[in-house]
Amino acid sequence: MPEEKKRVDFNADVSVIESADSITEVTNDTRTDFIIDAIKNEIRKLRNDEDFRQEVVDAYYDGRIDHSIAEDILGVEEATRMKLLKESIDRTPPEPQLEDSVPTDEEFYDGKVPTWKPDERSKSASEGT
Amino acid sequence: MAGKAVAVVDTNVLLNLAIPVVDNRSKAPTGEDPFKTLLVSYDIHVPDSVLGEVTDASGGDDLLSQAAKLVLRAADSLTTHDVRDEVGEPVDYGLDRGESEAIWLTNNRNVDFLITDDFGSTKYLLLNLALEDRNKLFTTPHILCTLAADGALHPEYVEEALTYYFETKSWDGKYVGLLRERYLR
Repeated sequence: MPEEKKRVDFNADVSVIESADSITEVTNDTRTDFIIDAIKNEIRKLRNDEDFRQEVVDAYYDGRIDHSIAEDILGVEEATRMKLLKESIDRTPPEPQLEDSVPTDEEFYDGKVPTWKPDERSKSASEGT
Repeated sequence: MAGKAVAVVDTNVLLNLAIPVVDNRSKAPTGEDPFKTLLVSYDIHVPDSVLGEVTDASGGDDLLSQAAKLVLRAADSLTTHDVRDEVGEPVDYGLDRGESEAIWLTNNRNVDFLITDDFGSTKYLLLNLALEDRNKLFTTPHILCTLAADGALHPEYVEEALTYYFETKSWDGKYVGLLRERYLR
């Protein structure tokens, strides 16, 4: 079943349209098809662009866009994940029960806390994180 | 342990909290121990398999292994549960054994909340779906901020720790930023 159409009118610089027309002379596309393909390509490019996706995340968390827009660009899974995470911020975790003092390392770990620094020779290779 | 809220955690939560404690590089926050603080502020429960996973991680001499060793030294402060028979094979929905068992514990025992580090991926969705009460689900940064707000950790330490995790674990900066605003400023 063909999709519903929306009519779009816009003004564009003559040079841009003439360049498009030159191309379609060669490819034998219609001007409309060429423009629609260009829009689709731009949408696909942006949907997969990490920086743009981050902008969408920021806009959602800031409340500038709603869930359905986030879903359209990021996909259902990612948008739902964000929605659930955002909602969780308003929940309050159970209160910690602080005792008078935190036990010393000796008491808690049965000794001093060991520390780690990368070997000079094998710096980030041994970070293992 | 009487009166403390009961939390279930999985392997990554334990390891990730222990990592800055043992990390002697200049980028690591200093002055507090979030791993110890968590374990004394709440009654922390884990499935047996989580300790098994931590043991597996402790074999080398890299940062993760050192963190795993530290966790094991505090194992007495954890309450463990053998729920292997409760959670059959294959484990559900793309969660690993430790995670599935943690979910099972949260759903079937007297557990107040579940802490996860996996909030940046689809796994967070899976956790939400698998939990009978998803209001029990909290993330590690949320708990760290709560500990700061309640005076168990210094807010400056938590600020530094959140930056450290953002840099080393690529935690969602926007989400963590909102937590910072709500709890630390």
